[in-house]
Amino acid sequence: MNDFSNANVLLEVKDLKTYFKTDNGILKAVDGVSFTVHEGETVGLVGESGCGKSVTNLSIMRLVPSPPGKIVGGEVIYRGSDIMKLSEKELRSIRGNKISMIFQDPMTSLNPYLRISTQMIETIRLHQDMTKQEARERAVTMLKLVGIPSAETRIDCYPHQFSGGMRQRVMIAMALSCNAELLIADEPTTALDVTIQAQILELIKSICERFKTAVILITHDLGVVAGMCDKVCVMYAGRIVESAPTDELYEKPSHPYTRGLIASVPKMDGKKEEKLFSIEGQPPNVIDLPPCCPFHPRCDKTCEVCRHAYPPVKEVGKDHFVACWLNCSEEERQAALNGGSN
Amino acid sequence: MTKYIIKRLIGMIPTLFIIVTLSFFIVRIAPGGPFDGERALPEAVKRNIEAKYHMDEPLLMQYGRYMFDVIRGDLGPSYKYKDYDVNTLIAGSLPNSIVLGSMAMAVALVFGISLGVLAAVKQNTLLDYIPMCLAAFGLSIPLFVFAPLLQQVFAMTLGWFPTTGWFMSSDAPLRTALLPTVALSFAYYADIARLTRSSMVETLRSDYIRTARAKGMKNSTIIWKHAMKGAMLPVVSYLGPAFAGILTGSIVVEQVFLVPGLGKFFVQSSFNRDYTLIVGVVIVYSVILIVMNFIVDIVYAYLDPRISYK
Amino acid sequence: MALLKKNKKNESATNEFDQVIVGTSLTKEAWKRLQKNKLAVVGGIIVIIYALVAICADLLPLYPYDQAITSHRNLRPSLTKTAGELMLEQEMKNLFFQAWRGGRLEVPDEEDALIEQWVRESKTNKVWDLLYERGMAALEDGSFTWSSSEQRRIDNVLEDIETETLITIDSVSADLGDGMKRIDDMSYDELVSLYAGLLGTDVATVESSLYNEVSATVSNELRANDSTLSGEDLTASIEMEMDAMGRDGFENRASQNLVAYIEQLAQRGASSDVNALISSGDAVLPYKGVFDLSSGLHVELEVSRMHDRHYYCGTDYLGRDLLSRIIYGSQISIAIGIVGTVTSIFIGILVGALAGYLGGKVDYYLMRFVDIMYGLPYMLLVIICMAIFGRNIVNLFFALALVSWLTIARMVRGQIMSLKNQEYVEAARSMGAGTMHIIFRHMIPNSLSVIIVYSTIRIPAFIMQESFLSFLGLGVQAPYASWGSLIGDAVSSMSLYPYKLLIPSIVMVVFLFSMNFLGDGLRDAFDPQSKNQL
Repeated sequence: MNDFSNANVLLEVKDLKTYFKTDNGILKAVDGVSFTVHEGETVGLVGESGCGKSVTNLSIMRLVPSPPGKIVGGEVIYRGSDIMKLSEKELRSIRGNKISMIFQDPMTSLNPYLRISTQMIETIRLHQDMTKQEARERAVTMLKLVGIPSAETRIDCYPHQFSGGMRQRVMIAMALSCNAELLIADEPTTALDVTIQAQILELIKSICERFKTAVILITHDLGVVAGMCDKVCVMYAGRIVESAPTDELYEKPSHPYTRGLIASVPKMDGKKEEKLFSIEGQPPNVIDLPPCCPFHPRCDKTCEVCRHAYPPVKEVGKDHFVACWLNCSEEERQAALNGGSN
Repeated sequence: MTKYIIKRLIGMIPTLFIIVTLSFFIVRIAPGGPFDGERALPEAVKRNIEAKYHMDEPLLMQYGRYMFDVIRGDLGPSYKYKDYDVNTLIAGSLPNSIVLGSMAMAVALVFGISLGVLAAVKQNTLLDYIPMCLAAFGLSIPLFVFAPLLQQVFAMTLGWFPTTGWFMSSDAPLRTALLPTVALSFAYYADIARLTRSSMVETLRSDYIRTARAKGMKNSTIIWKHAMKGAMLPVVSYLGPAFAGILTGSIVVEQVFLVPGLGKFFVQSSFNRDYTLIVGVVIVYSVILIVMNFIVDIVYAYLDPRISYK
Repeated sequence: MALLKKNKKNESATNEFDQVIVGTSLTKEAWKRLQKNKLAVVGGIIVIIYALVAICADLLPLYPYDQAITSHRNLRPSLTKTAGELMLEQEMKNLFFQAWRGGRLEVPDEEDALIEQWVRESKTNKVWDLLYERGMAALEDGSFTWSSSEQRRIDNVLEDIETETLITIDSVSADLGDGMKRIDDMSYDELVSLYAGLLGTDVATVESSLYNEVSATVSNELRANDSTLSGEDLTASIEMEMDAMGRDGFENRASQNLVAYIEQLAQRGASSDVNALISSGDAVLPYKGVFDLSSGLHVELEVSRMHDRHYYCGTDYLGRDLLSRIIYGSQISIAIGIVGTVTSIFIGILVGALAGYLGGKVDYYLMRFVDIMYGLPYMLLVIICMAIFGRNIVNLFFALALVSWLTIARMVRGQIMSLKNQEYVEAARSMGAGTMHIIFRHMIPNSLSVIIVYSTIRIPAFIMQESFLSFLGLGVQAPYASWGSLIGDAVSSMSLYPYKLLIPSIVMVVFLFSMNFLGDGLRDAFDPQSKNQL
């Protein structure tokens, strides 16, 4: 994997907090997430369903449906300016132009009532000064690039006339048609057949390398991350519990949750009788979470302090950050315990 | 598409046939006829009249004769309005009803859709509450309460509008037409606004609208270009029943505002047992209704590309 | 308490931290959501109040809804004034107007002009009110006095108010040899012999005259339903009706007549005693008393001043109490709404379930039929049916129910189709459950929430249709009332008596409003996903 630590920082997320107001209380979907993306880097965001991966990325684009959602704190700095403070108009000039998104379900993400050509051309003309004809040509080029056969004619079809994989290709073509600098891919392959999944991932990888586009890849599949990403952030219950360069993470997973995740990936070379590893229990309900490590009920190395305070983030290696009490000194734990019980 | 249109046109024939048959027999199996009543006619005179209108023949024969006439476009003579035939009576009053109905429909659509969209976009603000309160009111107040109230308040007490009359034969056309149109359109405004709002709200929550936002499009473009088509589908499918309702509703409005339309004939002819006129009016209403439903289907197909008519 | 609650909450959060969220049933969730919706709750409460009032109408202290008092016609609603005071006021308004016309009652010039204008615009109420005010002031300061003929008219009214009484019979009993027995409890034979005894004739005469009366009533009913019936047709129809009625039916009707006659006799017999009591000053009105008449009848009755009545909602053109008519009208309107909806839903479920479950040809033909019915302007067919087959509540109700099951049939069919392939249905079938069992024990209960929600939305629509027909004069017939017929009666005189239109309209609109809010709330609660079905 490449080392991007010297490249320019493209996007920096600092202590992002997004809460949802629900009938049962405040749901802290994202609770203090920080990470950085460098130019051309591919960052993986991994976690179980409901841990806040998608909300994090919607928050970056300020697309969280409000109400009930609200971004209550934090900064998202894109090329020096804070997206959270931009005006609606400035924000629009970034969306789809500098930062694009592709979504989980290609079946519903394209407007079923408009032709592909309409949807692509409008995107291109929105951000670039082109005539309709030029925009159409650009769209056809992009479609060809993502591997749509006979793109000149297919461009005038409606989304329902495409298969799921093809639609996701169209989405990718549309997202990259304005030369975005950052592509946020929100579980782009979850809704697709296994055979198509690999193709789509390969497509994202190659096309982003070609355009030098940075990628935030949201997934729950560690296998995908290993093949694609330069850096991985593991999320649990609205927070990042461990982040590290991919190789480092696989070699030295420091958080029990990460270890569990890696252990539960099925291995081809495993013995047949061997039972698949799984993490016991389920992720917590993030409404009214008491101050504690949210993973402690499922953790096999729980100690007293885990029940009473959230662990601080520690750097355990180069660019390798972990939030776990196991990496803290005894004094720190004692201090937290005393502080927490007062 | 053409094939589908032709298929649908052919499909109308059995429906019409059933309507004509049903109304023909319903009016005739009931006791009493158009020529008894008022005063007892001498037996011979009555028989003469009945022979003139072929009412002495067996029922099936009358039916066959009537069907034959209807297919040729002749709805027969009226039994009560002597010297008039049903075609003339309908031709004289139908245009008024159609003008009133289409004005009401247009008003309901324009206000219903625009205010419904406004309410959906400005959810939980005053711009949402006011149109929706109005709609809730329109849903709950029956036309036959609303129309007299309008007349009482705006025409009689305030004197802003003429109380009755029909604009095509009046010197202040707009002012005369306003009250009946508003009265008739109110309930349909209510339905359309509520329907538009709820389907717009749902559409705005959908994935493809999120995509459009992520592409950096303006809110107004998203609403009018991306959301409108999908949000209009339930409204369009509601239009069929709405037309039917406006037809019936126009009976009340025509009665209250003394509009010389078809509705008056309909109620009167039912009481009078003016067989041919009843069946004639029913046929006309049904044809309007069926044609409207047909147009609605075509519009639906135009809006939703996923429906393929093969 | 608050502290306790908070503690408990914290505790449970810690304890349930790693547990799966406890599932609540769908109905419970929906109920919770419904309770949050304030408008729906208020709507529900109002609907319940309406229902209670309508159900308990017979227990409320209302005047009979069909009792018409001629001198109480078109009285305005008043919370404080009695009918007598209103009568007097109306009489004086008329007299003041005549006096103004004759130039005897003088008002300032600009008011003269104003009144002239009002008269031209036929704003009668305004003219009356103004002249009444001016006239009373003039009477006070002595600038106007009644002429002798006017004074006589006023005195007449005053005397009527003072003296006219209303005798209400509570019960009549008679001794038939085995002790006192109320006539309500008597058999037909006992009534006939009692009545014959009272009149001094023999039983056969009474019976034959009763037969004539009943057949006359039947003939009237027939003609009310079908105004064109005459001659031989009528005679034949009457005979058929009388045959169909049978001996029991005849005795029933005749007994009702007999009870009424005997009560009349009793009232007539007692009235002289009552009058004597009142004029002697021994009785204070309202007076409750028991009289043993010379004819052997034992009467319990109530005497009240006729013009002491209070009409809180005014009276109609026949002098019937509008409040009572509105409440009894609500009874009919709501009942038709509910019964009609239940019937249409029953038919709809049956057709929809069969079509959905059996599928294939049955489904195809049933749904084609529904499609064709959809294309019909069915309200027009209902109007024709009502106009031609007679206007009574039963016909009305059938006509409405028969055409309104279409939507529910489609809906149930859709539900059943989607439930058909679910595992639990497969499981039931694999255990040998029959078709009917599966439909009615498994599928219908599972689509019940949709059906319930739909029916609450249906009820106001049904009530609207009923009142629409009643408004056109095709629905509920006098002496019964429904919201629609009350409004329909009032429209023609709405500028003179606006209260007749306004009060029933408000009553009806408030109910429909609440019902719609309740329906909306229920739909949102049960089915939060799909908000755009109508």
